[in-house]
Amino acid sequence: MNGGGGKLPTVTNDVGTSGDTSRRDFLKVLGVVGAGAAATSCGPPDMGDKLIPYLVPPEDIIPGTNVAYATLLKNGGPEHLGLYANVRDGRVIKLEGNPRFPNRGRLSALAQSALQDLYDPDRIPGPRGRDSSGFVESGWDEAIAAVAGFVVPGRTVLLTGSVTGSAAEFYAQWADATGAEWIPWEPLGLEALSTAHEIAFGIPGIPSYEIDRADRIVSFGADFLGSWLAPVELAGRFADARNIEGGHHAKFTHIGPRLSLTGLNADEWLSVRPGTEGLVALAVASEVARRRGGGAAARLGGTLSRFTPAAVAELAGVEPVRIERLAEELASANNPIVLPPDISGQGAGSTEAHLAVALLNLVCGAIGTTVRPGVGPTRGASASAATLRNLVERMESGAVETVIVAGANPVYGLPKALGFAEAFAGVANRVSLSSHLDETAAASNWLLPANHELESWGDAEIRPDIWAVAQPVMRPIFDTRQVEDVLLSIAAATGRTSFEAEDWKAWLEAGWRSNYEEEVPGDAPLFEDFWFELLQAGAVRRKREQPDPAPTLAPAAVNYRFTLPEQVSGLTLTTFATAQLYDGRGANRSWMQELPDAVSKAVWNSWVEIHPATAEPLGLETGDLVEVRTSVGSVTAPAFLYKGIRPDTIAIPLGQGHTQFGRNAQGRGVNALDLLDGTVDGRSGALAFAGAPVEITAVGRRGTLAIMQGSDSDLDREIGELMRVDDALEAIGGHRVDLRQILEHAWDSDPNSPYRWGMSIDLNACTGCGACVTACYAENNIPTVGEELAAQGREMSWMQIMRYFEHTEDDGFQTVHVPVLCQHCGDAPCEPVCPVYAAYHSPEGLNAQVYNRCVGTRYCANNCPYKVRRFNWFTYEHPYPLNLQLNPDVTVRETGVMEKCTFCVQRINRAKLDAKAEGRQVQDGDFQTACMQGCPTQAIVFGNLKDPESAVSQISKGARAYHMLGELNTRPAITYLAGVSHARLARSGHDEHGEDNGAAGEHDSAAEAGH
Amino acid sequence: MATAEIEVPREALPTLEQANDDISRPIYAPSWRYYLLLAICGVGILAGGTAWAIQVKNGIGMAGINNPVSWGVYIVTFVFWVGIAHSGTLISAVLYLTRSGWRTTINRAAEAMTIFAVMTAGLFPLIHLGRVWYFYYLVPYPSTRLLWPNFRSPLVWDMFAIGTYFTISLVFWYLGLIPDLAVLRDKFTGVKKKVYGTLALGWQGSVKDWSHYRRLYLYLAGIATPLVLSVHSVVSWDFAMGIVPGWHSTIFAPYFVAGAIFSGVAMVITIMIPLRWAFGLEKYITKYHFDNMAKLLLFTSLIVGYAYALEFFLAWWSNDPIEKESFAWRAYGFYAGPFWIMVFCNVVVPMSLWFKRTRNSLAALFAVTIFVNIGMWYERFVIIVTSLAHEYEPGGWGIYVPSTTEILILIGSFAWFFFWFLLFSRTLPVISIAEVKEHLAHEHEHGH
Repeated sequence: MNGGGGKLPTVTNDVGTSGDTSRRDFLKVLGVVGAGAAATSCGPPDMGDKLIPYLVPPEDIIPGTNVAYATLLKNGGPEHLGLYANVRDGRVIKLEGNPRFPNRGRLSALAQSALQDLYDPDRIPGPRGRDSSGFVESGWDEAIAAVAGFVVPGRTVLLTGSVTGSAAEFYAQWADATGAEWIPWEPLGLEALSTAHEIAFGIPGIPSYEIDRADRIVSFGADFLGSWLAPVELAGRFADARNIEGGHHAKFTHIGPRLSLTGLNADEWLSVRPGTEGLVALAVASEVARRRGGGAAARLGGTLSRFTPAAVAELAGVEPVRIERLAEELASANNPIVLPPDISGQGAGSTEAHLAVALLNLVCGAIGTTVRPGVGPTRGASASAATLRNLVERMESGAVETVIVAGANPVYGLPKALGFAEAFAGVANRVSLSSHLDETAAASNWLLPANHELESWGDAEIRPDIWAVAQPVMRPIFDTRQVEDVLLSIAAATGRTSFEAEDWKAWLEAGWRSNYEEEVPGDAPLFEDFWFELLQAGAVRRKREQPDPAPTLAPAAVNYRFTLPEQVSGLTLTTFATAQLYDGRGANRSWMQELPDAVSKAVWNSWVEIHPATAEPLGLETGDLVEVRTSVGSVTAPAFLYKGIRPDTIAIPLGQGHTQFGRNAQGRGVNALDLLDGTVDGRSGALAFAGAPVEITAVGRRGTLAIMQGSDSDLDREIGELMRVDDALEAIGGHRVDLRQILEHAWDSDPNSPYRWGMSIDLNACTGCGACVTACYAENNIPTVGEELAAQGREMSWMQIMRYFEHTEDDGFQTVHVPVLCQHCGDAPCEPVCPVYAAYHSPEGLNAQVYNRCVGTRYCANNCPYKVRRFNWFTYEHPYPLNLQLNPDVTVRETGVMEKCTFCVQRINRAKLDAKAEGRQVQDGDFQTACMQGCPTQAIVFGNLKDPESAVSQISKGARAYHMLGELNTRPAITYLAGVSHARLARSGHDEHGEDNGAAGEHDSAAEAGH
Repeated sequence: MATAEIEVPREALPTLEQANDDISRPIYAPSWRYYLLLAICGVGILAGGTAWAIQVKNGIGMAGINNPVSWGVYIVTFVFWVGIAHSGTLISAVLYLTRSGWRTTINRAAEAMTIFAVMTAGLFPLIHLGRVWYFYYLVPYPSTRLLWPNFRSPLVWDMFAIGTYFTISLVFWYLGLIPDLAVLRDKFTGVKKKVYGTLALGWQGSVKDWSHYRRLYLYLAGIATPLVLSVHSVVSWDFAMGIVPGWHSTIFAPYFVAGAIFSGVAMVITIMIPLRWAFGLEKYITKYHFDNMAKLLLFTSLIVGYAYALEFFLAWWSNDPIEKESFAWRAYGFYAGPFWIMVFCNVVVPMSLWFKRTRNSLAALFAVTIFVNIGMWYERFVIIVTSLAHEYEPGGWGIYVPSTTEILILIGSFAWFFFWFLLFSRTLPVISIAEVKEHLAHEHEHGH
């Protein structure tokens, strides 16, 4: 059902594939009584000891019930994400995706952790001014008056993050009115991509990458499942393209110097030197053009012809035959798609690399079908590193007297070599509107802390056709203000200008009103109704008058003279963003620090990825400290030996090495930007994140590198299974698992119970992004333990994604990501060994853990073959205001108690109560576990195994189904579906050791037989 | 045993009165050295106790245990002390029933050792609990929540097995002490006379007393004998009932029992050699006794060595890759050091006992038993820790390193054990006066 109902014709419902909103969602959304109520009637409760009920209860607070507010997360990672904020008693406790957005109701791990940003104990509690002793408290009026005095026309810069929608208009107008210069800047911007498409097709902006429609996927390094462009949306699309049950599975080739999270999901890896991605793209394009022909190929013939595979092979460090084979496959594909490099492949010639990929897309026919220029995710203007370098010069020369920074952290996010920090320190008036004491704020002399975006009004253009609004979901925790309101006050206090709108909310609403009245015919509902429903829905589909711009090859591209990079020898550096810290914004969130990286599985630190062959002569092992030096600097961090990186490449993740920013971020790891010399791409001005020559030396000491996975191989123990794609296609429709195994003889469970809760996890869909893990932390009050305890193996995560490497026949390897959580076994080894019945079997087949009864013998953990039980070695703290995030439905555990996945029993029980009130049983769709809800690729399905029609029952019988460590006969409630790969996997006999205990004919009735 | 009795050296046979005096002499005049030892033990207990107190306050995380190795030094040391406790019952009950006369001079100390070892061992399940303040959940008491312990859990069996063993051992020991307490009552005056008198339960040494005493002693020996097998079998089931590769094995019960006797006998020798020297009991505890105990040590070493080999054989024979990997890792992985220490101490070193010269040299024998004590601690470490560190799910593998807290508590446990033993050695006769006199009387009658 559409949450907007009939009154809201323009509310989009078909943005993703799973647009239908359940009745329950609708009811939840109905709880919203406009944002005014949200902003005023509820706030963080006084943590005092009053248990007196409200005299006049607020309308939208139902004790013990979450109220979901639709809002928008603009800083939750690379993409804008639509979400519902679940608010309990005035405090937001969980973020879940809004299905009306391209993120299809899912959120990344980083986006979910925005809660920890909101409740960060290290936020700036109120306005501050600096005197000789440091920051001192100040009143808002005083601070605004002071700052207004600094706004000297022509000598003031407003530096913000990149924004779209009303904020972009607002900043531009504010700058105009006050005579300031507005510079929006995003550290990991997409300038080169946008510039390249402008050159190629005359269409700037980001193309829409419709991976879901592709039958052949090639990426030149973009970490599109982790940290590039729109990972949640693209992961969903990627899963669609590889939906083996749909009878198709697009082969995916990753080209680049290292395997990122995305690269680990590839079927094939073409390892090329960093910075030569564009060259290889040209060689592939030239071959495709030769094979495929066509108008574009003919026009580009001259440009491409000199890039034969043989010509680029040596520079790129790749065999020509592999380029030819790839070109052959691309030329013969119906709907190929080629994705560009991300920052890890962004060298000095990044625009050319993007242009090369754009041309490759054109010659293989992807432009206009799978790649649609100009209609992709909207990105606001972002100044390039070159512009920032220019700003540095102006700051140094004294031409800039005042810098106001809001939503950006250039002191941290620009390479040291650019000298921003020094120049900024020399500016007379430095004002920060940041909500956190980040590096830039700490170097400022006035702090006017802004509301967190979950406490703010706002809007954004998600895509040219989708607009969304953000509303505050709770009252500000600290003495902070909406950033635009602060700017309005400053403008007013200068006395030189005034805005019509009394505050930002009015400004925002006025903008929407005028657009609405302009675009919608006169007989439409009143704007007030539209606005009210928009706030419930979160997003609206905007009618677009013009059709998509037709992408035709621009003349500039036809005779473009590509430059050949120089042949380099020795080691080359590349830096990359991770899904959890991204550009460093996740660094003070303990969930993100403790979320194992998809590649290294390391937490709480930086690491240096080195190929074992490169490490060997230096005697380096994983965890040994290694010094990495470039012409401009050096960093020392623990080595991580990784066979997914080229021997001539060294890679370091971004995001750590903060000198400020709070307790979890500060002094942790290294900032890889210190190694960059600030080279920029000549055309787009984008910073070169890769390609610097680098030297490494072993320090001779071991560092701390907490790696949360014991072995990289599952030793073929029926844990992470992979199937060849042809086997998987052949097996579609077959059955492997007999559900009776789970349902019958299940020890102690009640045969009369209508429920046996079960889960299926599709390893073909799982990308290892970690969204489920963070969802679980948020839902279940799981504490983080810090680096020291994590290194000792005391992590508390109920869910862990194991990353197993499987050998292939051609001496490569494939990766399978296996989320491992409590299997809720029918014959659970953990249960009988507990001396006090703390581990017991519920009538619905759950392995329950009774915290109050647990004395902490830990025998259950020893006896769990899946190693999913977690022990509270200490009582972990949730310092104020992080404690406000705790889910009141879930016990907070104390020291000495065992815990583990409960299958979100609190959600099960709520769904049962709701169903009982309606006189029925719980059905599919009534609820989801937190991990299932968060998964961007819908790899996790949860439900009732005793209902033969439930999705989980259907899936659990499937041809790829198996039980983890099935030979132990623990009768797990979780069924895994083997991953599918195009690689030449060693056929290890997955088919032989199936679990078909029953005769073949009995399979179809298996589920029914469960009763 | 007739053959054994022939070998008793006769030239030094003391009179019965001398025996009374010799054996009870230590009770009169503790020297400064005794108090020094007692003080050292006191400091050790204080250190261990403080470490425990801090652990209770801060959380069990003060120990080095983690995921996946949730049992570490505490359980290792628990099994170690339970093993030590074994020789007491074996020597007093089994050798009594088999009429092995050579037990006479060592059974008292061995039984005392049993009691104190169980008292030490019993602390560890508590120390190891995550929430020790709820330890009583393990006890079947009439709870208002109508909850009983889970009788399917080997940990509950364990509690009963050890509880039973402790009770029987204590009663058995006390019963044996009664005639000796009467001797002490008769030797002392004042408060001591009163205390010993009370404890002697009005023993008169009449024929009737002796007849009841002997009968009860026999019965208790009979009851205690199966416990030799049961206690450590049940302890072994703590592991064997688990599905952990390296634990889940049918050989565990006999393997553990043999190991327990092995370690118990070693500890008896370790203690008796200095005790004999300190208390001048050379006339009573002779090389003959040590020779016999050394042979028992050698025999059990062979069983233990066989069990080690058998574990590897079974892993290979099962052809289960998981089991095979677990054992290969045990010998060659991260914990190869402890494994080879175990093999060296428990299998290689005791082979020297094939030689009479080693058995008859107290210094050599003492050294061997020290090796065995260390080796047997490591055996439990190897079984528990290496198995847990490498279980089924390779992604979950992990390494455990003991923490300072655990080491302090381990040291404290030795201090606690020796503290009690020292108190015992100065308050009660370390050799059964009654049995020695019985033996001597027999010798005087038939030998001279």
